[in-house]
Amino acid sequence: MKNYDVIVIGAGNAGLSSAATLALEGKKVCVFEKHNIPGGCGTSFRRGRFEFEVALHQLSSMGTEEKPGPLRKLFKEYGILDQIEWIEIDSLYKVNLPGGLGVALPTTRKGAEETLIKQFPEEKASILAYFDTVYKFCGEMDDFAAASANSTGGEPSNIKKLLTQALFAKKYPYLAKYALKTTDEVLEDFFKSKELQLCLSAYWCFMGMPPERFPFYILAKCTNIYIEDKPFYLRGGSQVISQALTEAIKKAGGDVKFSCGVKKIVVENGEAVGVIDANGQEYRCKKIISNISPIHTYANLVDRELIPREAREYLSGYTVGISALTCFIGLDCPPETIGFTDSFNLIYDDLDANETFKDAYTLFPDKDPIIATCYTVDDPKVSPEGTSIITAGTLKYGTPWEELNPDEYYETKYKAANIIIDRLEKRFPGIRSHIEEIEVATPLTHMRYLNHPGGAIYGYEQDVKSSFVFFPREVFIKNLTFAGGWVNVCGFGPNYMFGNQVAKQVSKEVK
Amino acid sequence: MKSMKDIIIGQMEKGPEIMNEGAVAKKIGKDIITEKNKTDRIVRSIHTESLNLIVSEIHQVTSDAKAIRFVSADGYLPVFEAGQYVNIFTEINGVRTSRPYSISSSPKQRGYYEICVARIPTGFVSDFFLDKVKVGDKFEANGPQGVFRFNPVFHYKKSVFLAGGSGITPFMSMTREILESGADREIYLIFGARKAELAIFHKELSAMAELHPNFHYHLVLSESDSECNFRKGFIDAKCIKDIVGEIEGSTFYMCGPPVMTDFCAKALEELNIRPKDIRREMFGARQDIQNEPGWPSNLTGDEVFKLKIGDKVIDAKSSESLLISLERAGVRVNVCCRSGECSLCRVKLVSGNVFLARGVWARHADEKFGYIHSCKAYPSSDVEIEF
Ligand SMILES: Cc1cc2nc3c(=O)[nH]c(=O)nc-3n(C[C@H](O)[C@H](O)[C@H](O)COP(=O)(O)OP(=O)(O)OC[C@H]3O[C@@H](n4cnc5c(N)ncnc54)[C@H](O)[C@@H]3O)c2cc1C
Ligand SMILES: Cc1cc2nc3c(=O)[nH]c(=O)nc-3n(C[C@H](O)[C@H](O)[C@H](O)COP(=O)(O)OP(=O)(O)OC[C@H]3O[C@@H](n4cnc5c(N)ncnc54)[C@H](O)[C@@H]3O)c2cc1C
Ligand code: FES
Repeated sequence: MKNYDVIVIGAGNAGLSSAATLALEGKKVCVFEKHNIPGGCGTSFRRGRFEFEVALHQLSSMGTEEKPGPLRKLFKEYGILDQIEWIEIDSLYKVNLPGGLGVALPTTRKGAEETLIKQFPEEKASILAYFDTVYKFCGEMDDFAAASANSTGGEPSNIKKLLTQALFAKKYPYLAKYALKTTDEVLEDFFKSKELQLCLSAYWCFMGMPPERFPFYILAKCTNIYIEDKPFYLRGGSQVISQALTEAIKKAGGDVKFSCGVKKIVVENGEAVGVIDANGQEYRCKKIISNISPIHTYANLVDRELIPREAREYLSGYTVGISALTCFIGLDCPPETIGFTDSFNLIYDDLDANETFKDAYTLFPDKDPIIATCYTVDDPKVSPEGTSIITAGTLKYGTPWEELNPDEYYETKYKAANIIIDRLEKRFPGIRSHIEEIEVATPLTHMRYLNHPGGAIYGYEQDVKSSFVFFPREVFIKNLTFAGGWVNVCGFGPNYMFGNQVAKQVSKEVK
Repeated sequence: MKSMKDIIIGQMEKGPEIMNEGAVAKKIGKDIITEKNKTDRIVRSIHTESLNLIVSEIHQVTSDAKAIRFVSADGYLPVFEAGQYVNIFTEINGVRTSRPYSISSSPKQRGYYEICVARIPTGFVSDFFLDKVKVGDKFEANGPQGVFRFNPVFHYKKSVFLAGGSGITPFMSMTREILESGADREIYLIFGARKAELAIFHKELSAMAELHPNFHYHLVLSESDSECNFRKGFIDAKCIKDIVGEIEGSTFYMCGPPVMTDFCAKALEELNIRPKDIRREMFGARQDIQNEPGWPSNLTGDEVFKLKIGDKVIDAKSSESLLISLERAGVRVNVCCRSGECSLCRVKLVSGNVFLARGVWARHADEKFGYIHSCKAYPSSDVEIEF
């Protein structure tokens, strides 16, 4: 039987980065991946002459060469920074409002403020105050995180003293005031115009929670880091990072097994001691990091009678999150031919984002906000000369798709895609007549490739009660811990970094 | 004593309220046990990773081709789109290999899948299917897979099918589906064969054309004797134009041996058809790989190189894909399309050189980090690979 220090289940972003960290620290690590290529969400596929990115819209936390962000530093540690051709994106996003008004925000704070003031001059003071609040809030968040990290375990540290003396709210007033608020609660306080609110809340679609439920702290953090560290894309898409990390793991002596899912976690005396792979091979290890959902980790991989009752109780407080319906479109013309000018677009056909979000529980995207991206705008080389790639989709829950009769699946999928194209045709006339390839991914497609319940792409619902300090990170089986979008803020940047953080902890424990 | 988390939350606005919400959610939430095997069950009804098939019927359709029907050993055949294929695994003389075959039956019925295998001059698996296989034989398969299909989002309702030899099979499925369901579509099927008696499904297609005014069927024979009343020659631009009439507003689909589809592709180019209106099934590796554009001029196809994988060293002929050499040596490789598209057979080229045939859908990352699709890679020196 083969022995490892650490076994990682799943080669998603957090799985790969945790394995890279461990391998580089000299630990014997092995990643098991069900699919034949690495990446999980961080992947791409080919159709005809196009290569479609599955998930990455904008990479956060990179920063520039002069002012590197935390992710750039991490990729440097992994030795993969220079293997990648980075593309800096020059607008945060463009919000396309009902009636045709489009507001594109530049990637500087000043630029963003000015653009909004120009569009909504009567709310100038609130706009400035809002950005000020976002920045102060994020500043406090960073300070608090640093202070917590510095406080050592046993001794009642300074921070702990501070907290118990009820001084938290004094020292961190913005945190105390805003950390548990929803986006709407904050934006409605600041602004009168619904349009303006939509221009600022755009990042809700990155987590799949409508503004009335989207935690403000995630919105603030996204706004802050995408401005400070700039949004990035890369040539070849996220598959290149996934592959680069895989090579880094192997180079440092780690193993990565593809087309080789984990079938079972071996638990002895309440401790995880190894895994059995899809071929029936058993491996032993000191620690397991699961990059898949806690739901599948326990329900599918652990013998039923060995699943701790506390784990079942604890996890029943969390709801499986949203999936997506996406059209991957290859056009035989450049983006400007159909009037595509910004790489990231959020398209509203209705001002009430919360109301239209209710359609996320239905099959067809008749009213749902559409997220449409086109990286050919920033780098014509991401698709063959004279062509463009557009990804257009909307967030949808898996349930109605799960209930669909298989015989109706393909018909339904094309019908849904047709609705999206019809809606795009209104904003970008001519798009349909230029389609050379289109592939449609439904919640069931995500379920197939990620093996996540509900085809969830952002793990559990990231509302206020389930995120931030409430992430389901508690450990119930000794030596079995988690890293990934199910136990953390979703997204590429956050999960590369979280994988690294979990691995550092695990590495200390497997001395 | 209160935990640190509770203390912090207690001092935040809305803290107690949110804690309470969390507690309620726990009470009314779902037990994770209900999720056991659920995603597997749902996914399998659409995409089954591995099929267990049993031959239920065999029909000789021409002197050189048989239609073979399969039922499922587990009682369920997943849905598919007309035009897709299944990749069937065989074990012949101790060699485990596989071949993709387009499903020729209609997706509207899933009591069985029908495929149709045609003999080819130096066939290996095709000979096996035609000469050895009998009712009751069992096979493993993967699929249905493939993107050679009608896409209502951007394909025209007028379809022009260009078929060569056994390339008729996906069109058979598409035609059956369209005519059986009474869909509002128009089909022109131009079928190239050597002789009328070798044209698979000719009788059935002729009968369907009699019955359905929206189905136009034309046989084009390359080796016909003078008195038959079919078109003669190859499917060229003139032939297509004559038969189809108005070219504008049609989507073209091609399936058949690479030589035939190459020829038709030129014809469509002459007719100024936009690439977006042309769909082509790769239909496997060509037998005469030495005639593929770009083939290294210093190689004859008979060279035998060394192929290293792990601690194994095996022989690899320059005219055989790495995949075939691996299979001959009994090394298990994941495969499905065997035509460079699905990436399942991907391996890392550690050292040495290979010739890559056309039509490989490599990812940017593969090219960057030296991964190749072994089904379309031919050794041109000694090589080392890893999985
Ligand atoms: C359509 C879409 C759009 C997105 N847009 C953005 C965006 O713009 N910006 C952004 O930052 N984030 C975005 N995300 C989210 C981001 O991709 C994810 O949050 C992040 O990739 C999660 O990574 P993870 O580490 O949780 O692993 P996952 O990507 O969830 O990977 C889990 C892996 O585990 C494997 N696995 C499952 N079961 C087993 C088993 N039994 N044994 C072995 N392996 C197994 C799976 O095959 C998979 O590879 C998007 C995601 C999607 C799908
Ligand atoms: C998507 C798709 C759909 C298809 N649909 C159909 C269809 O509907 N009907 C149909 O008839 N065909 C179809 N084909 C083609 C089909 O897959 C086969 O290529 C065809 O049947 C010929 O198979 P073959 O093994 O006889 O010959 P080849 O595929 O040409 O195989 C010969 C190869 O086998 C190797 N070989 C020879 N002898 C041995 C040996 N002793 N041990 C190991 N290897 C050996 C040789 O190296 C040679 O390269 C399809 C192909 C594709 C890609
Ligand atoms: S088997 Fe599909 S690419 Fe080789």
